[in-house]
Formats: sequence, C-alpha cells, structure tokens
Amino acid sequence: MSLRVLNPNAEVLNKSAALHMNINAAKGLQDVLKTNLGPKGTIKMLVGGAGDIKITKDGNTLLKEMQIQNPTAIMIARTAVAQDDISGDGTTSTVIFIGELMKQSERYIDEGMHPRVLVDGFEIAKRATLQFLEKFKTPVVMGNEPDKEILKMVARTTLRTKLYEALADQLTDIVVNAVLCIRKPEEPIDLFMVEIMHMRHKFDVDTRLVEGLVLDHGSRHPDMKRRTENCYILTCNVSLEYEKSEINAGFFYSNAEQREAMVAAERRSVDERVQNIIDLKNKVCAGNDNNFVVINQKGIDPPSLHLLQQAGIVALRRAKRRNMERLVLACGGEAVNSVDDLTPDCLGWAGLVYEHVLGEEKYTFVENVKNPLSCTILIKGPNDHTIAQIKDAVRDGLRAVKNTIEDEAVVLGAGAFEVAARQYLVNEVKKTVQGRAQLGVEAFADALLVVPKTLADNSGLDTQDVIIGLTGEHDRGNVVGLNHHTGEPLDPQMEGIFDNYSVKRQIINSGPVIASQLLLVDEVIRAGRNMRKPN
Amino acid sequence: MREIVTIQVGGFANFIGSHFWNFQDEMLGLAADQTADSVFKAQNLNMDVLYRTGETQQGTLTYTPRLLSVDFHGSLGSMSSLGTLYNDGFSAPADVITWTGNVSTHASEPRKKNLFLQSLYQEENSINGGKDDSLNQIPQKDIVDCLDKDVHCWTDFSKVHFHPQSLYELNGLWMDIQEFDNYGIGRDVFSENLRGEEICDRLRFFVEECDHIQGFQFMVDDSGGFSAIAADFLENIADEYTNTPALLYTVRGSGSHLNLRSRKQKVVRDLHDAVSFSRLASFSKMIVPIGLPFLSESKVSSFLHIEDEKPYHCSAVYAAALHSASLPFRMEMPGPTADSSEICGAIDVNGIVQMLAGQARQNMVAILDVTMPAPGLTGTEDQQSLLGNLQSLTPEVVEDAEDLQVVESLIVQGAFTEGDHRASVSEVKNAVQAAYERATTRPMFCHLSTALCPLPIPLPFPSIFGNLIGQQGELLGSPILGSQSRGSLDVHSIPMAARLRSSSAVLPFLENRLENLRKFGINRGAPGTELLRSWGFGKDELEDFGETLSKMVMTLKPDFERSSDSD
Repeated sequence: MSLRVLNPNAEVLNKSAALHMNINAAKGLQDVLKTNLGPKGTIKMLVGGAGDIKITKDGNTLLKEMQIQNPTAIMIARTAVAQDDISGDGTTSTVIFIGELMKQSERYIDEGMHPRVLVDGFEIAKRATLQFLEKFKTPVVMGNEPDKEILKMVARTTLRTKLYEALADQLTDIVVNAVLCIRKPEEPIDLFMVEIMHMRHKFDVDTRLVEGLVLDHGSRHPDMKRRTENCYILTCNVSLEYEKSEINAGFFYSNAEQREAMVAAERRSVDERVQNIIDLKNKVCAGNDNNFVVINQKGIDPPSLHLLQQAGIVALRRAKRRNMERLVLACGGEAVNSVDDLTPDCLGWAGLVYEHVLGEEKYTFVENVKNPLSCTILIKGPNDHTIAQIKDAVRDGLRAVKNTIEDEAVVLGAGAFEVAARQYLVNEVKKTVQGRAQLGVEAFADALLVVPKTLADNSGLDTQDVIIGLTGEHDRGNVVGLNHHTGEPLDPQMEGIFDNYSVKRQIINSGPVIASQLLLVDEVIRAGRNMRKPN
Repeated sequence: MREIVTIQVGGFANFIGSHFWNFQDEMLGLAADQTADSVFKAQNLNMDVLYRTGETQQGTLTYTPRLLSVDFHGSLGSMSSLGTLYNDGFSAPADVITWTGNVSTHASEPRKKNLFLQSLYQEENSINGGKDDSLNQIPQKDIVDCLDKDVHCWTDFSKVHFHPQSLYELNGLWMDIQEFDNYGIGRDVFSENLRGEEICDRLRFFVEECDHIQGFQFMVDDSGGFSAIAADFLENIADEYTNTPALLYTVRGSGSHLNLRSRKQKVVRDLHDAVSFSRLASFSKMIVPIGLPFLSESKVSSFLHIEDEKPYHCSAVYAAALHSASLPFRMEMPGPTADSSEICGAIDVNGIVQMLAGQARQNMVAILDVTMPAPGLTGTEDQQSLLGNLQSLTPEVVEDAEDLQVVESLIVQGAFTEGDHRASVSEVKNAVQAAYERATTRPMFCHLSTALCPLPIPLPFPSIFGNLIGQQGELLGSPILGSQSRGSLDVHSIPMAARLRSSSAVLPFLENRLENLRKFGINRGAPGTELLRSWGFGKDELEDFGETLSKMVMTLKPDFERSSDSD
C-alpha cells in the first residue's frame, strides 16, 4: 500500500474491517438513543464526573452531552443535530433510522453483496418514499384563521413524548397560543419573538403563557415603584451613563477646580438626556395618574436612576437586545436610539408592570398589553432539572406548531406513515426495479419499520406481533398506527396523533445519504492516533 | 464604583485565571485575618471592582468573582459547573417529576478530588458543622506535594467559589482538546447551536448589575480554536457595549511550538498565529500578547524554577503579572490632590487604554514586563535594579529597542528598599524617578502606580521559587540550603513589579506575523491558500488581515514601505 511508504505510522483498515467499524458505530449510537423514542421511552439521567446531574429525554440534548469519540458516530451525530437545527425535531429518529439502514445492509453485505448495489437501491427507495410522502400527507389549510385543533394535535403529539400527559396537555395550549400570538400574516414565523423565561419557583404546573413580556432583571434603585399600573413604555437604546468621550479623551487641567468643572460638563450631557425623558413623562402623564417605564438597552448609572426615580419613572437598564424588538411588538411604540426629539408616538402601553424577586434574581413582568405580537412562556419548576425538561419540550412544541403552519400539512403518526411507506415500497416499487438493486429497496423498506418497532419495544410489546398486525391492516387498506397501551392498531386520525411533514421529509432525505456514504467507505486511513484503542 | 468583568476563554486562560482568583481570595482572607501582616489590612483596594455581592434563594449572602469563563466540556474536572454556593443542599432529585415512564441512569466514574480539594471540603464542613477540625486534617506539606505532582485541570488548584453563571462549558463539539488546535476548527463554534447567544446572555447578567462598568479584562488562550470563539465574542461585545473598553490578553502556554514535526504543521501554526492575532486585534482597543515559548529559560525566571511542560507552573507567573497589572484599576480613587499612604496612581481601564494605545502613535499592542520577585529599590549590585530586572512576558520582542516614544505604566507592589524594609509610596516614587534620571534611554511618559501590599502567596501556588528567595520574597545573599524549589509554605508573599509598555520593541512580533501571512497565505502559489479557504477565509479577507497587520507595523515604523507587496 502506497501510504505505508509515505507514512509508516499510518494505520489502514481494509474493506470489511472498515465497513464493520462503521456499521458497529452506527448500531452503537442507535442502541443508546433507541430507548428515548416515543411516549413510552425512557428518560435518561446523566451523572457527570463532578456529580452534576442532567436529566433529558431529548435526543438532541443527549447527543450533545455525550463524549463521542468514534469518527463515524460523530458523523451520524452531526447529521442528527443538523436535523434538529433545520426542523426542530427528529434527532432520535434520524439516529435510529441510520443505524437500522446500516444494520439491514450488514445482512446483505455478509451474504456477499456489493455495497454499491445497496446504495443504488437506497437512492431509488428514497425517491419513491418522498413521492409517497407527498401523496400520504394530510394537507391542512392555513388561512388567516389556522385550524387550532390540528395545531394542538401536532403539539400534543410532540409534547407527550417529553412530558407526562397532564403537563403535556397543559403546555399544548400554551405553545399553540404562543405561536398564534406572534404570527403575522404573510410573514415567516420568528420563534425568537416568543421569550422563554424560567423561574425556580413553585411547581411545573404553574408554567403559563404571559401575554406580554417577562424580563430577567429589575430596576436598580431601591425607591422605584415595584408595581405600577397603566404604564407608558419607552423602549430605548441610549446610554444614560457618564462616560468619557472617545476621541481626544485627554483631560487637560491645571488645578482641581478645572478638573471638577470638566467632569461636571461631561455629566451635564447625560443629565440632559435624562431630562428629555422626564419632559416626555411630564407631558404624557400630566393630568392623569398614568405611569411611565423606561426600558433601556444601554446602561443607566446611579445619578441618572436617581433623577428618574425623583420624577416617578421606573427604569430598567441593559435589556436584552432581542427584548427591544419583543417589547415593541408586545407594547407598541418604537425603539428609539436617541432622546433628542421624543414624541408620545414612540411610547408603548402596558396595563401592569411589576417586579418579582427571588433571592438575587429579579423579574419584571410587563403585562396587560394591547394586541401583543410577542409573548413569554414562563416556565416554573421546583428545580433546574424540571425547568430544563420543560424547556426542551416547549422548544420542540413551538417548532412543531411553526412547522405545521409553514408546511400546511401533517403526517399521520404512531408509526402509520412508516408502515404504509414500507408496504408501498415492498408491494409496488420493488417490482419496478431491475436486478439486485431490488434488495437495496427491500433493505430500505425494512429499515423504515424501525420506528414502529422501537415504539413497540419501548412499550414492552412484542415487536413481531405488532408489526404483523400493522402490516396486515395496511394490506387491507386501513392506515393504522400503533396503540402503545395495548399493542393493537389504532387510527391516528381519530386519536389525533400527527407528526410534522418537514421533519419526516428531512429524515427520509438525510438518513440514506449518510448511510450510503458510510457503506461506500472501503478503506479507513488514520495517520495519527490509534483508532482501535480508546485514548 | 468602577466594576470590571473578567472573561476567560480557553484552557490556558483558565489556568491563569484560577491562579489570579486564588490571589484575590487570599487577599480577601488576609484582610479579614486578625493575625495577618498589617500591610494586608488597610490596602485601600476595592475588591468590589472584581467581585459581586449576591444572595441565594435561601437568603445566604455570597461574594463571588465577576467572571465568565468559557472552556471545553469536561475541563472542570471534579468541580460542578454550577458551583456549590447556590445549590440548596440537594444534589440528586428524589425522582423525575416531569416523566412518569422509565428512568435510566448513566453515571460516569466520579472524578476523585485531590488532597487539596478534599482539605477545602473538610474545612468548609468543619466551619459549618463546627467539629472535628483538628483530627484528620491533611498536612499542608502533603497538599503542596500532591499539587506539584498532578494537576490536570485548572479546578484542581482553585480555592474560589464561583457563581453558577460563571462557568460555561462548550458541549456537543465531539473532539479532543488536542484536535481543537487551530483557528479554522473553532470558527463556527460560537455561532452554532445558539452557544454565542447563551454566552452573551451570561455576560449580560454580570454587566447589568454594574452601576458603572469601567471595562472588560479579557484573557484568551489564542493557541487554538478558542481564538476564533474569542474573536466572535469580542465582536459581539464591541457591538453591544460600544464604549466599554476591553483589555485583551492573549495568552498561551509554554512549549506550544514544540511538537511541530513537519513543515506543513509549521505552516498551519504560523497562519493560525497571524490570522488569530489580526482577528483579535481588530475587535479590541488594546491587546497584550503574553506567553513565552520557553518560560523556564527566559530571564523572567532567573529566580524561579519552572517546568515548561506544566501549565500549572507557567500560568502562575502570568497570573502574578496580571494581578499586579490590575491593581491600579481597583485602587480607591482619592480626591484629585489627596494621596494615601498605601497606594498611589489609581487609573481605570479606559485610562490605561487611552494612555498606551490612544496617544499620537495609536499603537494598540502593548508589552507586559514583569520582575518576580521585585528586587530591593536600592539594590546592592546593580544601580537600576528594579527597572533593569523587568523582563518581557511578550514573545518575539527585541530587548534594546531605540524608541523615543515609549509610553509605559509601571506598577510596583510591596517593594523593599533594602533587606526587608518595606518601601513607602514616596520612596518608590523617588527611586523610580531617580532610576529614570540616571538611565540612558527613558520613556516619553511613565505612569507609576504603587501599592504597599505585596503579592500574597496562597497555599495552592506551585513551588517555583528558587532558593535565593526569603519568606517575604526578599532576595537573599546566599542560597538557603535544602530543597531546590520553595513554595507557598516557605514564601508567604513577594514584592512584584509589572509594566505595560507601548514600544517599537514589539515590531518583530508584528512583522513575523505579517510576513508569514504573506508568505503562506496571500502570495501567489502560497502553500496555505487552500487551508485558509477551508477555514472560510477568501482572498479579500486575507488582504484585510494583511492590511490590519501592516498598519500596526507602520505606526511603529513610519518609514516602513509595503515592500513585500511587489513580490
């Protein structure tokens, strides 16, 4: 081998060893994630070396927490994480689908088949499956008034795989209402406009949707009001902090008085800016008992805070950049970058602004707003683990609702699609394929069944019985999924179990690509460390 | 109040940071200790500049560093990323309340705490429990020995409690720290998976509570992919906190240039250095490169015994220098004319940046010099001992540069006049002035900050002192017999002097980077073009980097022609 001449330290794995290394890695990763899948999956508690605990049922989170060393496994993991980035769900499904494709291929390769032929079959099967998906999907009309029921069903399907049923059902409404709140006609949905805030306080069932905004900081002046009603909101990005000017910052002074005078002059320009805000307050609040709240992206130093407090204004500094956008969407008005010509038009409105303190953490609630286009999901829980799991679930739920609105379609869940696609491939597509590529199609079709199989397995059911029952129903023309309680077939349409169309399409698309690449590897060269031994 | 938020990015930066915070913790401890030397009592140093006061949900008050540290997943060793202050007693939740299905537990092998951490833990429990404190205490000698033998992570020798927001781990990278060794590999790490968003959120947590932030103290390990993360982070900071200056230290451990076996690796390394430096420089107001390739052989360690391959050793020297350099920022600003007897020369971050980088020459690269320990002011053998002993921690610097426009900020802490007599503030002033008057070359401008209080040596400080150093850090005439290297048990504090200097002496550092960038990256047929493309840099960007670097060279060398453009 020529490489040996170039680098005597290089390690070369030949064809079958390379292939088996890849297959084993894929199977290994599949084994880790497989138990996660579905509403009967296992939640995983990870205890780190320092004794810190992470609890997760989310494939994406789990992958990121794992210290994966094997290069093949890393490749699969990256694909799965990318899946999550693109469509927001389906990490676990991607990993187990790739693993199953490799597993099915192994059978044929061990019988002497060339991987190239299998890969050709995969390609045909993939295209056929995608076409089938187009026919199989259930279109949903998303006009100006989206069908809330179907959105709820999709969200519920996702959430129930992450949280226990009662909590999942409670969050379903929250998630759907949150997305509908920020949705603007003719514009893509920006999920960042849903703020997700968490408080370590009370119980998981106290999680709620706040129409308005919750900020994770409070005013920094002891005498500012903690609770105000009927508030004008000024959203601004103006420094109210004394800072030396940038250019020619040298102070030239010859005695202490001069220095004081220069400092005072610098200070004055800050005070003028504060005064502009106070003037506006006096203008709009004259003759009524409305209040005035300033939320600033830049800093506000104690002298400025004091002036504002004296004028009866509540002021918050260093707001998150994204909150500037959210505030305007929630309260109205506009975010100003200069206080030189303020008009009442810049101001937003909120019925209630109040502060909540937990230890050193302060939260400011901006509520009772008119026509909000931004909102906050406030997650509560007694500990960080609970909060983290609800957060994962909420994230997935939001993505699921968004996908549904954008796809204008859903796919029947509970394994119904996979079984239907498999029957289609085996009964119809396979016959049209010439030669040995048929076997590739068959391997692909069988690999699809991994989803219902794993669902059954995780529910403690007999996999063979379930698959036979499901395929039998499909052959009779009934589209059914798996009832994970009984193992009997069920009608996903009736039960309201729907998956995202785009998630499914993405899995069908990316799974075979990676599997094919891994199968076609016939030599692994590593000119560095030894890859057989862990180091 | 003039708060500073400290940011540490990358392995070696965190090693330095760990020592740095140990010094601060030791100062706090000594100030509260009845039996400690009186110089530590009235320091007139405001620790609130670096620390924040907080409160747990149970109402316990906390005092923790105002720090954001970014490092690899798993780099925290046996320390939990949430710290121990804020988790209210329960470690394992009794059951998972959000899931009614099965739970499977995957526990990785618990990391063993070393003797030092065990003793910290014991100490804490005995304070809380109030019993059993003398019985099975671990002898300090064993602790020092154990630390000298194996330190794997920076947490192994850290005695500080951190805030849960302080320690950020990068997860989901799936690579070894050894593979994370160049700019390209870290390029997208900050933006992927909303990591940047979370890092910035954490920074905001610390900035929001500052009444009047004076600046960021930013340390980055620029020897690998962390440089790219830091550059993206700095870009964000510059955008979000426009007028807040960042004092940037790019640090690297010793021997990072050692294992270059092939020419190809050398090209990668040189290009990394060039790209990393120019990217970082373009987002900061002042940059101080530190990290000598062979610290143990440099003149800095003439009184020290350092093992280059131990980051635990090298980082201690850099941390001591950074500690001194940060002293002026937290000196209590007295009235414009008043001077205290403990300190003088308070200046804020903005002041230093303007002074060194903002003058007519606009040279933003500063050199850090240090003498550790600082010799007596009226040294016996050499007349300008203190100034003459300052040695550069910045690599690739010429020693005797002819430069008439040098601007420097000199910090002297706890110096002795002679023997072990602590020099007063005015004595230091006079000595420095006298030394400069005698010197043949003197800077255009020198700002002097002095503090009476020396650098305290905490227990987990490595045993790197030579046998010419006494208990107070004074230099002895004859070596102490016995062990070669002395540590925290024998040396309790040392006088230090550090100097930040804007000088043309840094020219070779800049020119090397510029030349390498041109030779390997920009010129036609350069061997690194392909590599740089894989890092995501097109020709235009590279030319911008070249431009940045050549501008930096030109400010220091007005007659510098862009001669290499032609070839």
